[in-house]
Amino acid sequence: MLPIKQGQAAIALVCIVLGFMLAVQFRTTQDIKSTVPFQRIEDISQRLAQTEKERDSLLEEVQSLRKSSNKEVLSKEIENVKMGAGVTPLKGPGIVVTIDDSKRQSKTGENPNLYLIHDDDILKVINELWAASAEAVSINEQRLIASSEIRCAGPTLSVNNTRYSPPYEITAIGDPKNLENALKMRGGVVETLQFWGIQVSIKKLDEVNVPGYKGTFRFEYAHPVKEGE
Amino acid sequence: MLLPILGLVVGLIIGSLSPISIPQEYAKLFSVALLAALDTVFGGLRANAEEKFDTTVFITGFFTNALLAALLVYIGDRLGIDLYYVAMLAFGLRIFQNLAIIRRYFLKK
Repeated sequence: MLPIKQGQAAIALVCIVLGFMLAVQFRTTQDIKSTVPFQRIEDISQRLAQTEKERDSLLEEVQSLRKSSNKEVLSKEIENVKMGAGVTPLKGPGIVVTIDDSKRQSKTGENPNLYLIHDDDILKVINELWAASAEAVSINEQRLIASSEIRCAGPTLSVNNTRYSPPYEITAIGDPKNLENALKMRGGVVETLQFWGIQVSIKKLDEVNVPGYKGTFRFEYAHPVKEGE
Repeated sequence: MLLPILGLVVGLIIGSLSPISIPQEYAKLFSVALLAALDTVFGGLRANAEEKFDTTVFITGFFTNALLAALLVYIGDRLGIDLYYVAMLAFGLRIFQNLAIIRRYFLKK
């Protein structure tokens, strides 16, 4: 081999440094690769935090305004109406249905859409729940109210103008047994969904929480009809 | 020949075990320093092949080259001159040249 006679120790030292640098550089490169859009992540998370803060303060404002406007007339009737309208968070026995896209690969020539969850699948489930006398239903933290829409928005689902991607968690308050049976009946909605491999899991719970509707009601065209008109 | 390889292995182990990681903004400087170090090592091998090897020159060259390369790139960064690519090109070219010379030496032997 090479006739190195002098300063082998010195060269070994240099090689140690070189090896150290190589290893550190290797790891640094690995780190960078795994966290490329670092700046962007920080940016977005900051914006998210800011927006969340804004939302919370606005929510507080809405709640305080609602409270101050209803202070004199806190009767049972109003409470009932508010529960029906879906502005108050509710809790009680019920079920939690989790629906996720099919894990099955679509065969060639088959429409892959068949294995995805669509708005009408969710609508069928919701409809079945209402029919089984669910008292309050929410999808992923969005309370379903009279004007709630459920529709596909690209690969996501838009509920109360908020988009969600699978898995969808539907929470319903009502008689847990009734609700579960309604979904699981023979030839029912769950059976149909499971035929396409869509994952449906139903949990019966003694207490589930359904959040209140966080938006506001705006009536541009509709006006109440005065009695006697 | 055994001792340098042993040193390299020890260095690799120390490097991979130590929790040191270069912050992203300095990764560029570090990579240039690494390339300069590699260049010096290949230069040393070549000098050795030509039997002109000098330990002092080798050691001083190793450290000053690496530091100077990083410093130059840093200054270039500050001045808006992308010396990074220049350093990469220069060192890369030298490494390949040295490699070719070392190879010829081995073939001649």
